[in-house]
Amino acid sequence: MRVQILYSFFILMVALAGHFISNAYYLQVLTFIGINTLLALGLNMLMGYAGQISLGHAAFYGIGAYATAILTVHFSWSPWLALPVAIAAAVMVAYIVGVPTLKLSGYYLGMGTLGFGMIINIIFREWSSVTGGASGFVGIPALSLGPVSFSSRQNYLYLVWGCVLLCIVLCRRIIDSRVGRALRAIHDGEKAAAAVGVDTQKLKLQVFVLSAGMSALAGFLYAHLVCFISPETFSFIMSIRMVTMVVIGGMASIWGSLLGASLLTLLPEWLHAFSEFEMVVYGLILMIVMIFLPKGLTRGILDIVERSRRSL
Amino acid sequence: MNSDHPLLIVENVSKAFGGVQALSDVSFQLFPGTITGLIGPNGAGKTTLFNLITGIFPADTGDILFKGSSTLNNTVHELVQCGIARTFQNVELFESMTALENILVGQHARTRCGMWGSVFRFPWVRHEEGRATKIAFELLDFIGLKEHALRKSGDLAFGWQRLLELARALASGPRLLLLDEPAAGLNMVETMQLGDLIRKVRDQGITILLVEHDMSLTMEISDAIVVLDQGKKIAQGSPRSIQEDEAVMRAYLGTSPQK
Repeated sequence: MRVQILYSFFILMVALAGHFISNAYYLQVLTFIGINTLLALGLNMLMGYAGQISLGHAAFYGIGAYATAILTVHFSWSPWLALPVAIAAAVMVAYIVGVPTLKLSGYYLGMGTLGFGMIINIIFREWSSVTGGASGFVGIPALSLGPVSFSSRQNYLYLVWGCVLLCIVLCRRIIDSRVGRALRAIHDGEKAAAAVGVDTQKLKLQVFVLSAGMSALAGFLYAHLVCFISPETFSFIMSIRMVTMVVIGGMASIWGSLLGASLLTLLPEWLHAFSEFEMVVYGLILMIVMIFLPKGLTRGILDIVERSRRSL
Repeated sequence: MNSDHPLLIVENVSKAFGGVQALSDVSFQLFPGTITGLIGPNGAGKTTLFNLITGIFPADTGDILFKGSSTLNNTVHELVQCGIARTFQNVELFESMTALENILVGQHARTRCGMWGSVFRFPWVRHEEGRATKIAFELLDFIGLKEHALRKSGDLAFGWQRLLELARALASGPRLLLLDEPAAGLNMVETMQLGDLIRKVRDQGITILLVEHDMSLTMEISDAIVVLDQGKKIAQGSPRSIQEDEAVMRAYLGTSPQK
């Protein structure tokens, strides 16, 4: 019941935002928060719940974006046809990469996925005949569905946040099930998880593939929003930003992904005022959050609320 | 199953780690519905034997037969599915999860909802979930922790954690239960309660292989004892005959063979 109320509130907020905000800049920022939430949500399933780190997730984000760009521009496909193919491409790559890499754990898994992310980024950069190389890929068409054109910023906002809601429902359902419990069991102790009958390799692979698919969806939405993509966007830095969103927002917390993505999207916008000190302040804020709220924003804020309620 | 047919047969099993021969040519059998104590000094190969039976690593030579078929090519989780469950020497609970959730995960092998089932929540998934919760509460009741179902397992007292791990192992519906030093770290009262529980489990028809350093507990509840020393089986028999066995005395007390 509480969940339904939460979802209704969520839909209402998105509808209100779309209805009352007409400033193109704000709409754009809100849309980006949605895309980043998708990224954080997918990675949180892997990191927060299953406890497996990936430092190469920007690759899947990029595969989603480049796949739809190539199919719609070079082959003139409809974007809606390109979407499932883009997701399938990321899922397939995740499967192939996941089988050997997910046998690693801890730092080694971090290194493995880091290397993978770099390889994919180099492919985006160097395979110029297909990807446009370092100068990027131009002319990606805007989305439209029948009479509805998503070149309107309001409509795109609805589209992105619709996808976010869908993925939140999806993730919540997985977490509140036998599968979700097994994922958390792997996080707490892989040896013990195997000893109660969890096929840890298979489950880790499944969740890796799932999070890759969600990142690819985010890539698709990004490509058709900006209509121009370049390898920079999907570099190592982006992978790190994704990890930061998950950690700052709160590991193993779905609403934490939303919070982390919001903060990391908004901060750079707010901090423009500091001009050349922007990155310094940005880093400082992240440090302070981690020192005082080590479990991330969601858990940290909840703890503070509980403590103040008890002291009343 | 006829009680004349062994549930588990360990046949001439050897295992070496580098130059160390952890087990050499060990054979014994476990009969359904019995408690077998596996004892031996430190480094005798007890834990290695546990890991072989549960499929964590394979034997170098020899074979292990469970319900008549070889387990050598099975992975750990497949063997749980077949009916082999275990507990760990150092309690390995899922500490961030509640006692109830620990037992629900314990039922992983006998439930089947996957990714699609969890997303679409078919009627059978809800049914399965309800059944699993019912079984979990029954098991919590069995170990006497029903009131603590919703507490984080990491926050429970150590003695309770041991019991919870036992219940989690039972949740998979095993035919064979391996207990690795279940009484380590428990006080006398808790050890006695544990002994009672283990007997009750046996009376449900579950076969138990027990590694334990608490000799009074082992001798009291075991139907048979297997003694390992330096990777070799040196004795096997009833608790009484083992207590009088010379080879066992030598292994434990270090009496010189010449006297």
